[in-house]
Amino acid sequence: MLEHVELFFRSIFIDNMVFAVFLGMCSYLAVSKKVATAVGLGAAVIFVLAVTVPLNWLLDKYLLQDGALAWLGPEYADYNLSFLSFILFIATIATMVQLVEIVVEKFSPSLYNSLGIFLPLIAVNCAILGGSLFMQSRQIETLGLAFNYGVSSGIGWFLAILAIAAIREKIRYSNVPPPLRGLGITFIITGLMGIGFQSFGGMLTGGDDAAPPVEENTAVKTEEKKEIKKEIEEKEVSYNDVINK
Amino acid sequence: MSDKRLTFKKRLHILKHHYRDKKMAPAFNAFHTFLFAPDETTHSGSHVRAADDLKRTMNTVIMALVPVLLFSMFNAGYQHFSAINGFPENFSLWNDFLTWENFWVGITTVLPLVIVSYGVGLIVEFIFAVIKGHEVEEGYLVTGMLVPLIVPIDTPLWMLAVAVVFGVVIGKEVFGGTGMNILNPALTIRAFLFFAYPTWMSGDKVWVHEAVDLAGGPDAISGETILGFLAQGHEYSYSISDMFFGFIPGSVGETSTFLILLGGLFLIFSKIASWRIMLSAVIGSLVMGLAFNGVVDQGWITETSKFYGLMSFDYWKHLLVGGLAFGIVYMATDPVTGAQTNRGKWIYGFFIGFMSVMIRVFNPAYPEGVFLAILLMNVFAPTIDHYVIRGNIKRRMKRLKNATILPKDSEGAAKELKAETI
Repeated sequence: MLEHVELFFRSIFIDNMVFAVFLGMCSYLAVSKKVATAVGLGAAVIFVLAVTVPLNWLLDKYLLQDGALAWLGPEYADYNLSFLSFILFIATIATMVQLVEIVVEKFSPSLYNSLGIFLPLIAVNCAILGGSLFMQSRQIETLGLAFNYGVSSGIGWFLAILAIAAIREKIRYSNVPPPLRGLGITFIITGLMGIGFQSFGGMLTGGDDAAPPVEENTAVKTEEKKEIKKEIEEKEVSYNDVINK
Repeated sequence: MSDKRLTFKKRLHILKHHYRDKKMAPAFNAFHTFLFAPDETTHSGSHVRAADDLKRTMNTVIMALVPVLLFSMFNAGYQHFSAINGFPENFSLWNDFLTWENFWVGITTVLPLVIVSYGVGLIVEFIFAVIKGHEVEEGYLVTGMLVPLIVPIDTPLWMLAVAVVFGVVIGKEVFGGTGMNILNPALTIRAFLFFAYPTWMSGDKVWVHEAVDLAGGPDAISGETILGFLAQGHEYSYSISDMFFGFIPGSVGETSTFLILLGGLFLIFSKIASWRIMLSAVIGSLVMGLAFNGVVDQGWITETSKFYGLMSFDYWKHLLVGGLAFGIVYMATDPVTGAQTNRGKWIYGFFIGFMSVMIRVFNPAYPEGVFLAILLMNVFAPTIDHYVIRGNIKRRMKRLKNATILPKDSEGAAKELKAETI
């Protein structure tokens, strides 16, 4: 249970798809002009991630991993098909996206029209493939955790696109310098939002990986440098002695 | 203009008309309106609904900051000498704290920070105003005062200058200036410093004047903040009144909760800052603090855990140490970057308090999580507003649907509407 909770918050906030690893930027930047459209796309991404990550987990577990084919019989135990990961994962994703597209067109034609080309493009949204590949490389253990990971990283992406869409609606009245209007200012906003999300960097791990060095102080550093310089000088002197001799 | 009967104010007014439509007009007007209240109200940016102009608002906030600034100057010296000679045994306010030596240290350390912050920031503002041909915006008056108060005392001046340029240009001017930015510029500057020069922004050497210079030598001094002590699981030796009145190490102006409280009350009664944000932020931090205390009381976490020190810290003391009080009063209430709707302000403030304490406890790398929590909520403030407004619209539509419209005629009797009038 605890690991579920931890994974949930970790993938929403700490390993946020947009602000921690900067994945899925194309649709994030392009479909964030209005909150309503952003919510639609975000929901679609959550759905696709929630379906594809567990599916790909099954594929990975019973087909791709080193020795995954052992359930067929002992003679297959040596196969390692993980070089097929990319192509199988992307095939799963493309199928699911096609399904979502059909469903959205049927039930919400207005959302379908406003999402336009970006709905089929979810298939190549790097956040989706990234989700499956992270699932593989982080060695998520159970199907339940894989589902959890898909949903929560989808929610993280959803929150990001929701926040930037609201900000972009707000700054529509701002007097942004003409050369920066449109994408330029959106990139700047994304960077600034990334600073805000830095508050989660290194959380829970105790700042072991992403923490600024707290204990160090510059004076000690300079002393170390001086010592190193001294050593180098001494060595040079000794080298010179050897050469002269 | 050579007429001697003209007062200084009149002369300036004539000069203003003389400079109108010239390239230098914004620069001139900036000084003019700083000295005298202009005859026009602010008509753009965040302040479109008020009767006075933005510069009065900004000056009110600065008035609320002056006691904090003066206190911080004395505290700079007090911490410096206490770290060298040890804390005085029988502390007396007049003999140990409000002394000329303390104040002199404050003047030589805090004042340069203020001057650099204002100087660099205003130069950037003036350049942008002259190039873009609009009035110089007043937003930097408060930012320039906040920045020196939220940095460690020995921050090198060139770092501060670089960060101020970044904060003003990327944090504010690219969005079109005051009233348009999405993140609080002062906090953007603080975050820039924190992530760009981490060794100067945290640790136990940066909070006391000259501690960095003396480190490693025989006279080494250090002053760790209370949060720093707790994050490492050590004990601290400050009493509660020390924490409340601010005789503790910390960023320049964040230490004195007492003066910040006075400033906050002043801002509430002058109707500059939102009491909703302040109150809900206090509630949020207390709730989170209580939750952590509860976890410790239940015995779910043991003393060996690295979170134990901060989790077992009494919930209400979180408000006294670190920058939480300063952030809540002076920065969360920023009218531009905070939530604009009343219900949004409650949510926004609550999460600031909540997140601040959570980051403090769970993220030992950032024992001071307040500025990051406020930045994060700045990011989400437009989203909160959006949904509050959507909710209002929905409620009113419902009310409109259920309402029976009975307009009154001239005699006051209700008259039923006919279909064609609706």
